[in-house]
This record gives sequence, structure tokens and C-alpha cells, in this order.
Amino acid sequence: MINLGTGQAKRRSAIALLATVALGLATTSCSPGNDAPKADGPPSGDIRVLSNWSGPEAEAFDAVVKGFSAKYPDVSVKVESVPFDQTQSVLTQQFAAGSPPDAAVALPGMVRQLSQQGLLMDVDGIWDTWVKNGEYNDSLRAIAAGSDNHTDAVYVKGNVNGLIWHTTARTKALGMSAPPATWPELTTMLDKYKASGVAPFSVGAKDVWVPTQWMDPILLNVAGEEKFNKLARGEIGWDDADVAKAVTVFSTMIRDYWPKNALDTGFSDETCGWVKGKNAFANNGAFVNGIVASCDPSLRPGTDYTFFTLPPFEGTDKPAQAVSGDLFVGAKESKNPVATRAFLEYLGSVDAQTIWAKRGGYIAPNMKVPSSVYPTANDKAAAELWPKDAASQAGYDLDDWIGGELQSKYRNALVELVRSQDAAAFIDTMKAADTRSNG
Amino acid sequence: MTVTKKESMTTTEKVAAPTLKAARTPGTRRRQGRAKITPYLFVGPILLVFAGFYLWPALSTIASSLFTWGMLNPWELGAPSEWDYVGLSNYSSTLSSADFWNAALNSAIWLIVFPVLVLAVSFPLALLVWNARRGSGIFRSIFILPMTISLSAAGIIWSFIYNPDPNKGVLNALLRVVGLEDASFTFGPLEVHAGQWLSNPGILHLGMADVRFANLFVIIPAVWAFAGFGVITFTAGLTSVPSELLDAARVDGAKQSQLVRHVVIPSLRPSIVVVAVVSVIFALRTFDIVLVTTAGGPAKDTEVLAMLLWRQVFQYLDTPQGGLAAAIAVLMSVFMIIISLPYIRATLKEQQ
Repeated sequence: MINLGTGQAKRRSAIALLATVALGLATTSCSPGNDAPKADGPPSGDIRVLSNWSGPEAEAFDAVVKGFSAKYPDVSVKVESVPFDQTQSVLTQQFAAGSPPDAAVALPGMVRQLSQQGLLMDVDGIWDTWVKNGEYNDSLRAIAAGSDNHTDAVYVKGNVNGLIWHTTARTKALGMSAPPATWPELTTMLDKYKASGVAPFSVGAKDVWVPTQWMDPILLNVAGEEKFNKLARGEIGWDDADVAKAVTVFSTMIRDYWPKNALDTGFSDETCGWVKGKNAFANNGAFVNGIVASCDPSLRPGTDYTFFTLPPFEGTDKPAQAVSGDLFVGAKESKNPVATRAFLEYLGSVDAQTIWAKRGGYIAPNMKVPSSVYPTANDKAAAELWPKDAASQAGYDLDDWIGGELQSKYRNALVELVRSQDAAAFIDTMKAADTRSNG
Repeated sequence: MTVTKKESMTTTEKVAAPTLKAARTPGTRRRQGRAKITPYLFVGPILLVFAGFYLWPALSTIASSLFTWGMLNPWELGAPSEWDYVGLSNYSSTLSSADFWNAALNSAIWLIVFPVLVLAVSFPLALLVWNARRGSGIFRSIFILPMTISLSAAGIIWSFIYNPDPNKGVLNALLRVVGLEDASFTFGPLEVHAGQWLSNPGILHLGMADVRFANLFVIIPAVWAFAGFGVITFTAGLTSVPSELLDAARVDGAKQSQLVRHVVIPSLRPSIVVVAVVSVIFALRTFDIVLVTTAGGPAKDTEVLAMLLWRQVFQYLDTPQGGLAAAIAVLMSVFMIIISLPYIRATLKEQQ
């Protein structure tokens, strides 16, 4: 036992201790921080940023942040990384706790939900300049729109989907001298490979976003861009004849060309599956180009592996392009709004996106980023598919667009579709889940 | 019980008698007053912690289950003007929701299978350790080692074991060796798909409903990680089995199996209750291992109640379902309290 002395001495010790603690607390709470941001003037102080990239993409984002720090040396950027699947929950918790990051990665569905609660910084001014300068167009601006009639996000990373990746050695062995120009040519080639007893496609459907990457290009191809965008916005239902036809085409693809273990396989195993020759193809986005090296660093992009886009389902017109990408939002309650706004503006700029584009596996949404900066033939070809003018037909990632509970139900229904290949059951499930078109 | 009460009353009287005599002087009265306060001073801090971190959140959860709210517009006691009171409709919506019953069924599978497997694995292992002539400490350490790993890590380790690629997943490598890679079998209403451990390992078609077995392969890693607790508890219990009883049974000609059945198991009843109840509580609140292995999928095949609750609060921002999540939490807590009653009773009995 520690002897604290007499009663009086004990009381004196206790009072002294309390006074010290109180003084300490008062000092802590009252002292101004060394990095207190200025309300105006050049950006300075600290900002906290939440990202969800890993591997080469995280390294590329770090390089972009370094570029920002070089431009604004008085701003210190602290990047926190969260797993991709946890982004929404972590961001929600932080906003709910009243301590949101100053800036954070987000997808359109989430942008609209956070904006509905009035939690996001309005970046209309930045977009006005970008659109005026021809860096972005109104279609891209619409993707970053919030629910409050303002643009509440900036476009950081673009991507095109529906690319059929393959090694040139494999397609050469299949006798493919040019990409299939029609749907029958595609299925003939797939059937030829399937005859060897192996599923043509490597599919990592354990990652729930992978089947969604399949659905988008097929929907755009079979149902068309207009129906796709109407479906995304809840203007038509899943029982629309063209949409239903697209779902049937997709379920046939799963039945005929997917491996049995698709739901046990994750995205990285999907990529290594076709790279190492276990399967011949994979249908995924342009970002795959930056991941192939982790499976086989000896393969040269463009020469040893490349991609083709899905041929038109009917006729010969090029189908509308499936696109996706990542946005960044700023918190309305940011303690450092000047630096946060500067950071958001920088992320959407030519300078920032050139840094990332030079590393590959990335498409700059800013249309002023020259194609010469892309490091490989695959990156250049993918960037060419990015819809640079308002007339380009494109559909933004349906899954990322809808967000929330409906997104979760959509993903579950797709898993059921993978398992059962029952298009009618999928349509029934989605019709019950997505009631937006019911009026 | 009556005897105990009488005994305790007698003890109080014995203690109280000299105190009453001593209360005659003012100094003694002060000491007596201090003696009355002192226990509360000792208990006070923990009561404050309990009230702040357990009681208040529990009451707040119960209250918030009567309102509509979401994480971005949370229910706050101090803002009655913003309350959206819905009465018991969160409970009726929950109890009529297919998602809730799917998650409840999965949790029920956990509640039954997990404790049974923990008991079935840890009890024989504890017996082996107990009977080992040499190295029982080493064996005990080996069996306890998985307990030192977090459940998330255990889930990740087992995800590798279940990997469908035979070059990566041990189980599928074994299946390839025995020629059962990608094999499927049908036995009446039962379908088995070899190698599809976490996606579609098998289905039991029961007419109105299909029971899928993906849950089982999430439960196995949890048993692997948790069985050490059973081993510790049973080996501790086994040391208190009276050796005279065992010797007497042996003299009477009891075989090893009879010793276990008629002497060891009855003596270990308190330990069995502890392992079973703790396993049940663990099973009901399971979340992390499901999140890292399947995230509740494929579809909702492995979604348990804790995961549904989490999704409703943190993932469905467009349809604020915090009240529904709170209702699930309350229902789970009520169930857990009922399940824990035997354990609490056994503990209190032991203390008495």
C-alpha cells in the first residue's frame, strides 16, 4: 500500500492533483493549434483525406498528393486509407460523429446521399471554370451532381468497362487474327475455346462488383444507351422488354462461358487466371492494365496482352461505352475549407491527372490531358474510349450510380443470377426491389 | 436456501453487535459513517463506467428503436423536435421482413452448430491433454494458439485454405489429388458441390425452402479459433474431478468410456454449461469472421443478425434504418439474456 500521509496532507495532494489536471485540460483546450488554417489567402494548414485505393493505385494517389504538396507547400495532407468495401460505412460513421475527413473518395450514389443531408462542399465554381475551359463536359458534370442542384464532387479517376482482356499468345492459339466484329464471331471463338473443356472466362465474382461490370456493357449493348440511363434513373423498370432481353443474354453468357467457381474467385485471382493461361479471357475495366504485372511482370502491355471491346449484339453500330470512375467530395464542415477546395480543384486538374496517367492503368477524366502521357499502348487505347464529347454515347456504372440499399439488393440479385442463371427470377427480384419507376 | 438465509442473518447479527456498542462515542460515529460510505466510493467508479458505457447505450438503443433515424440524421434525446416517433412499427417491420428471418435462420444455425462443434472438438482434445503422460503443457499450448489470433485473421487464413485454385487452396489441392475437383453429387434432396466451399458447397432442398451449407464453412474457422477456450475450461475442470471417484470406478471394473460417461462428464457439468453458454453468446454476436470470409454472401447465404444490423445502420444511407437496426439489437439482447440465464444462475450458485 502507498502511504499518502495524514488526512490533511491527503486533501492537499488531491487538490494539487485536481488543479494540475484542470490546468492541463484548460491549456489543451484553449491553446491555438500551430497549423490553424486561415479563412482566406493562400491555402495552408492541415487537411485529412480518406482514400480507398491499394497497391499501385495507392502509390499513384500518393504521387498525386505529393504533386499537390509541391504546389501548396504550406498545406499538410494526411491520407487515411480504408478498404474499398468499407468506404461508405467509414465515411458515414465519421460524418455522423461530426468529424468527417476534409476530403474523401466517393461514388455517385453516395455523393447524392451525403449531399441530401447537406454535408458536402459545393464545388460549382470549380466546375464552371472547367466546363468553360473545355476540360470537362456537362455529361461528366451530371455524374458529380448532388441532390441539392449543385455539383458536389470532382472527378478524380476515370475508367472504361466492358474490355475483354486476353494474352496475345492465347488468342493466336485460337486463330484470332482480329477482334470479333460481331456477336456470332465472339460466341464462335468462345465455343472453340470451351471445346477444350475449360471455361473461356476467368471471373472473380466473389468480389460483388465484378458481375456488375459484366451487366453494364451487356445492358448498353443489348438494350441501348437510352434504356440504360432510364433504368439507372428509375424511369423504366427491370421488366422492360429490352432490359429483360439483356438480362437473358447475360444469363446465357454465365451459363455457357463462366467457370463454375466464379463465386469463389476474387478479382485478383480473376486477373491472374487469364494472365497465367488458366482461362482465356476476362471482362473488366481499363484499370486491369495496371494490375497484370502483379501476376506476371514479364508480360508487356500491348504486345503480350491487350483487350478488345464487346462487339455489337445486333447490327454493326458500335455500342455505347460503359464508363465508371471515382469522385472526391469535400466536407461542408471542413475546418480548413480553403485548403480542401484547393485540394479538390487540384485533383480534377490536368497536372494531377497527368501524374496518375503517366503511371498507367488509369484514364484521366479531364479531357485536356494529352494522350501522349499514357505509358502503354493499352492505356492509350483505353483512354481513346473515354467519352470526350457530349455526343458520345455512354452509360455510367449502374451499380455505383444507384448506391444505398438498392445497390445491395442489385448485387445480391446478381449473385443469385450467377448461381441459377434464371433471368426471369432476377427480373422479378429487381422489379420488387427497385420501385422507382412505379411512380 | 432457507438454511443459507438463516446463516447469513446470524452472521450479520454477530457483526452488528459490537458496532452498536461502539456507536456511543462521537469518534466511533464518524468512523461508522465513513465505513458506510467507503464501499460506495470503491464501487462508484465502476458503477459510473457501467452507467455511461453499458446502461445508457442500452437504454438509448431501446428508446431509439421507437423512432425513424439514420446515421446521418441520428436520433438524439435532446432534440425532441426532430423525433420521428413510429411506436413499435420498427419491431413489426423487422419481424415481418424476409431479410430478418433469413439472418435469424443463419444465426440459429450458428447457435446450434457452433456450440455443438466447439464441445465436440474441445472436450475430446481436453481429455487427450488430461490423459497425456508427457507434454500435456505443449499440447495445451498448441490447442490454445488459435485463440491468440484475432477472428478476422482466422477468417483470412481460412479463406486461403478454401481458395478454389488448387495451387493456392489446400482443400482443393486435396480434392484434385483424389480426383474430386469440381465434382458434384446429388443424394435425393441433397446437392453437394465439391470445392465450392464458400459459394455453393451444397443445398438441402426442403420443398418450401433450400438450406445452403456455406454457413458451415464459415463456422469451421470460428470453431478452430474458439476451441482453445473449451480446452482450457475442460482441462481446468478435469483437474477437479475427484481421483478417489475415478479410482473407485476403476476398482469396480469401469472401462475408459464408462469412466468418461459416468464420472467425468457429470463432474464437468459446470464447465460444459460455461463452454456451451459462452459459445452460444459468441455465436449470436458473431460478425467479424463472417465479414472477412464472405461479407454475408453469396447473396445473403451467410448473413447473420449482427451483419444485417450493421448494414442497416451503415450501408443503407438512402433509407434511414437506424430504428430497425436498434429493434434488431433489442431483440438480440432479449434473446441473449434468456440464453444466458442458466449461466448466470450457475455462476451465482457457485458464488453462494
